[in-house]
Amino acid sequence: MTRPFYGLTIVLAAILLLLLGWWNLFAWSVIPIQAQDVWLSLTHFDSQSISHRIVQDLRLPRLLTAMFVGACLATAGTIMQGLTRNPLAAPSVLGINAGAALGMALVSTLPILYGALSTSLAAMIGGGVAWLLVMLLGNSWRIGGNEHGRLVLAGVAISALCAALTKAVVIMEEDQAAGVLTWLTGSLADARWQTWQHYWPFALAGLFGALLLTPSLNLLQLGEEHARNLGANLLRSKLFGSFLVLLLVGTTISAVGSIGFIGLIVPHMARLLVGQDFRIFLPVAMLLGATLVTLADTLSRAISYPMETPAGAILALIGAPFFIYLVRKRTL
Amino acid sequence: MTAQRFFPIAVITLLLLALANLMFGAVSLSVEEVWKGLYASSENHFTIYEYRLPRIFLAILVGAGLALSGALVQGVIRNPLASPDVLGVGHGAGLAAVCYMTFFSEASTRWLPEVALAGGILAALVLWYLCGARSSAIKLAITGVALAALWASCIDFLMLTKPLEINNALLWLTGSLWGRGWAQLQALLPWFVLIPLALGLSKYLNLLDLGDDSAISLGARPQHLRLLALAIAVALTAACVSICGPIGFLGLVAPHLTRKLVGGRHQPLLPATMLTGACLLLAADLAARTLDPPIELPAGILTAIIGAPYFLWLLLRMK
Repeated sequence: MTRPFYGLTIVLAAILLLLLGWWNLFAWSVIPIQAQDVWLSLTHFDSQSISHRIVQDLRLPRLLTAMFVGACLATAGTIMQGLTRNPLAAPSVLGINAGAALGMALVSTLPILYGALSTSLAAMIGGGVAWLLVMLLGNSWRIGGNEHGRLVLAGVAISALCAALTKAVVIMEEDQAAGVLTWLTGSLADARWQTWQHYWPFALAGLFGALLLTPSLNLLQLGEEHARNLGANLLRSKLFGSFLVLLLVGTTISAVGSIGFIGLIVPHMARLLVGQDFRIFLPVAMLLGATLVTLADTLSRAISYPMETPAGAILALIGAPFFIYLVRKRTL
Repeated sequence: MTAQRFFPIAVITLLLLALANLMFGAVSLSVEEVWKGLYASSENHFTIYEYRLPRIFLAILVGAGLALSGALVQGVIRNPLASPDVLGVGHGAGLAAVCYMTFFSEASTRWLPEVALAGGILAALVLWYLCGARSSAIKLAITGVALAALWASCIDFLMLTKPLEINNALLWLTGSLWGRGWAQLQALLPWFVLIPLALGLSKYLNLLDLGDDSAISLGARPQHLRLLALAIAVALTAACVSICGPIGFLGLVAPHLTRKLVGGRHQPLLPATMLTGACLLLAADLAARTLDPPIELPAGILTAIIGAPYFLWLLLRMK
């Protein structure tokens, strides 16, 4: 794939993202908002106008969060697929989402842990423990011991275990359960400026870190032996990559809940568009992820208008058939 | 442990667990009170007769049914990771039931088991179509898991977009024995005519273990046999799921555990598996009711908490 085509893809994806974002600001609003109101509220903000206030206080933080969520999850999926060299790897498949949700459920319901940790830290720790277990059980730390099917099955079993524990915790501590259930469905409807402020610094740091990791991901694709011979420090890349994944997924989940399948689909789409070089397709994946989540968020208001459908449910509906397609295509 | 020693021990365990289930719960009763409660004059009659007794019978039947279908599937596919719920049958049945409750909300729940049954069979057919007869163990399991994820996301989607019609479905989908009574027991019982049929197959299932060629030369017809055994397994699972909701991992754990205890011959294995499954579900339901009374955990959660680590252990040992 040649460089000019890569530039064109980036520009087109960015334009698409901006258009969809603009559409997201006014489409399917319960209180009707005109397209020009969006523009006016940004340039000549009028605090008396309801539609201006909706755009400024509700829609804008929601849109920004949606874009970052997409970029972060797509990046996390790309890193995981690079590290494990497994086309099926993604945060939701390998148990990180379920582990993070369990961590948050424990922190926000158990009296002993209540307030001891921030929820995003709890999400990171939960996701980290889950991933560590999946990698150990799937034989993925050992050199040359990389078995694709086993890794995925380990991830599925860990997910089932974490989901069952989360449900048990939620049922036993009914009082705080409502909040936990909202996270579990993964919706952007509650994203406000406050969410955004807690979210963007970590997300941005994770995204930049991922760009630094791309050369070692490229080396890893040659196989671990070759990468080692070419001077790559495998352990350091794996640890740094794992840390980035946990940072990206943990902060995302604590902001908007567990949104699945973005990390699985988007890297494949990006690879299809611009080829295998991580330095090139990671930025494309970020843009595509942002676009997809923005689109899903717009649809989440449209599908059962005037009620909202969580964006996570829509993405799962798109993602699960894709997962089956991948399983069938690859020879495992 | 040999089969001769397994059966008495398992039956005694089952009876003790059943007694414990009658005694403990939100209100604890003594053995004497339980005995008196069986008669209409006692103050505990309602608790015992209308609430705990049908629930015990349901736990025994559902546990036995799920375990038996797990043993059948593992015997036919010769895949230690296979079980009806790992293959997406439970979720398929769940999706069909949720669709039925959503789109025909005024129709009677009388037909729910049949609808769930159709959904389970359909899910099994889709898996069969996607994988074909000769897939590797891990590929079959992953495709099944992916299909289960698809059905699960469809269920979530329906429940989130049609929240008003769906309260029934939510109650039902937690995989619990809560609130089930004699009526559900009656709906489930007819399906258990399949059990003698399954036990009758055990001789032929042993032949399948020798490999297809040997089985054919010994007079069995492997393709027909597979289809029949799978159909029985799917029907039993779907019937159980339609009553209790998806109770995960029971169909995986019970046959494995039993195979360790009584060996791989299907004649003792199948009935022994049913006993193990019934004991496991009774124990899970007992724990679900007594861990934190008066709140009840769904039994399906407890079976998953026990079953998922067991699945991981199997995965670790698999070459």
